[in-house]
Amino acid sequence: MPDSIFQEALIITVLASTLRGSIPMLLAALGESYSESSGILNLGIEGMMVAGAFSSFLVGLQTDIVPLGIFAAALIGAVMGAFTGLLVINLRLNQIVVGLGITISATAFCNLLHRVIFGNQFRILWGAGLTVEIPVLSKIPIIGQALFNQHWLVYVSIGLVPALYFILYKTRLGLRIRAVGQKPWAADASGVDVSRIRYFSLILAGALAGTGGAFLAVGDLAFFVPGMVQGRGYIAIVIVMLGQWNPIKVFLGSLLFGFALSLTSALQVLGVKVSPDFILAMPYLVVIVALILIAKSTSLPEAFCTPYKRGETL
Amino acid sequence: MKETLYSKAIPIAGSVLSIFSAFAAGGVILLFLGKDPLLLYGQLFIQGMGSTFGIVETLIKMAPLLIVSAGLLIAFSGGLWNLGVEGQFLMGAMLAGWLAPLLAPLLPLPVYFLALGLLGFAGGGVWALLPAILKARYDLNEIIMTLMMNYVALNLVSWLVKGPINDKTVVPAQTVLISMTHRMPMIPFTRIHMGLVIGLIVIIGVHWIIRRTTMGYQLRVLFANKRAAVHTGIRVKNITILSLIVSGGFAGIAGAGDVLAVKGLFQSGWNPMYGMTCIPLVFLARLNGYAVIFLAYFFSFLAVGGEFVARDQGIPIYFVHVIEGLMLLFFAGTAYLEDRRKG
Repeated sequence: MPDSIFQEALIITVLASTLRGSIPMLLAALGESYSESSGILNLGIEGMMVAGAFSSFLVGLQTDIVPLGIFAAALIGAVMGAFTGLLVINLRLNQIVVGLGITISATAFCNLLHRVIFGNQFRILWGAGLTVEIPVLSKIPIIGQALFNQHWLVYVSIGLVPALYFILYKTRLGLRIRAVGQKPWAADASGVDVSRIRYFSLILAGALAGTGGAFLAVGDLAFFVPGMVQGRGYIAIVIVMLGQWNPIKVFLGSLLFGFALSLTSALQVLGVKVSPDFILAMPYLVVIVALILIAKSTSLPEAFCTPYKRGETL
Repeated sequence: MKETLYSKAIPIAGSVLSIFSAFAAGGVILLFLGKDPLLLYGQLFIQGMGSTFGIVETLIKMAPLLIVSAGLLIAFSGGLWNLGVEGQFLMGAMLAGWLAPLLAPLLPLPVYFLALGLLGFAGGGVWALLPAILKARYDLNEIIMTLMMNYVALNLVSWLVKGPINDKTVVPAQTVLISMTHRMPMIPFTRIHMGLVIGLIVIIGVHWIIRRTTMGYQLRVLFANKRAAVHTGIRVKNITILSLIVSGGFAGIAGAGDVLAVKGLFQSGWNPMYGMTCIPLVFLARLNGYAVIFLAYFFSFLAVGGEFVARDQGIPIYFVHVIEGLMLLFFAGTAYLEDRRKG
């Protein structure tokens, strides 16, 4: 029965690569849902993912310890988040201009460093992208190999979904984050430190975006090339719009785009003669269609994109 | 009189300060990379501004910056974030590269150039159409839509140039080479193509439209206060759609111009990413068309000088993009200083 074996392989490939492909966007989008809930649009997210991808690769290569690279990426992302906070919370600068500035500088800076350090060589980080097989569960036919034989960061990311949902909707901290995004002056009057909450959200968003970039470079793949993030940060922003800041809906949205990405490998396995360029455009087309479908029902936090100054209301 | 001079000097000072700060920060980066910033900046200015070759190259490369910036000026003046100029540029360039060799034998030269200009405009304009309609009808965030359209354009033109519009007689994925007789003519007695003249006309025209016409006024009202624009009877939807299309159209013209003047064909993987340069440029110019001309010269010089330095001193051209990004960040910072001055 070569046919059924083939079909099985196809299903495993699609499931596994959907999950893997969705993780960078999932991590970035989880962080973005926190920063947007607190009223801040983090357009620098794309640059943070690039920085995460590059730093994880560089540190992983230098130390030969891949997890250290991922940690470095989270750290760099957090620092970039804090820096964004300084500009948009303390100095109350325009969030869109700052975000674009961060993305352009960070992307160019990583490309510059890559060229200076590696020249025109694209080295491979051996030992990156190793999967961890979960005993028992990975023995389940078909889905076992697809879902329970993944990189450890995949399990961590999925574990973060309910945890971040719980924090945002069931704890005092989450209530404060949402309050700061809706009515910062009311939150301030009731004793919430608006700046601190927004800093917390942005630093978390940065760390998660950096980790997302790291997964792309050293989890899913094992190298860094300029331009590899390819707008995944922006897609994460769309996923957050689709999921209305709810981490669980954000997870479902990420899977949708992961599926669009996995079509590339699925069609290759099937041997369908479709231009790879066409398939590569798929995730963006899905984003556009999704945006058109939800066009009428998007709503944003009331204080979205507005700096807070005590004594000022909207 | 004194007051107006003063109020004009402050924004210029802010932009100049941003440029200097970005260079200073770039110098620190160079030190980290083990390069001598003074030597490098010295080379940059000497070769980019001090040599005839550098100046001519700078003037040649100004053309697309002027035209793309003119388009951004329209959108940004209305508070519309057209971040899709890269895709719009590629669509215009692709159409020109594909159709120029086909139209060349059919049309008299002036009509041919006009047709290609219009095709470039159409390519870029169509690429801005969907974000424009969604913004106007449903107030859907144009930032994300225009960005997404970039990636679709990137893959679409790549597919087209490898297949349907490919020149089958050569190996690389590219369109048919445009014959030298059908390239953009030069400004007499120079090797600078007419793109510069077109660019200057476009940017001055756009500046005039924004500052002196009813439409420009409506655009500025839209930027300042959308609700007020609605209440004063401005057709916000129409003006949103129109300005985004024209904005994209200019990026498309720039694409057609580069194909006709510089490249001679459309090639797979070619993407000069003018958005990365022109977005900081238009902000630093504070939405003033005349300032765009000065800054286009400056940014073009940076790109040209940067290429010299990349070759001689081994500092990759990416360094120039770092400086541009930093300029945008420092520019954002000057808003804080002005805010504080006002109290």
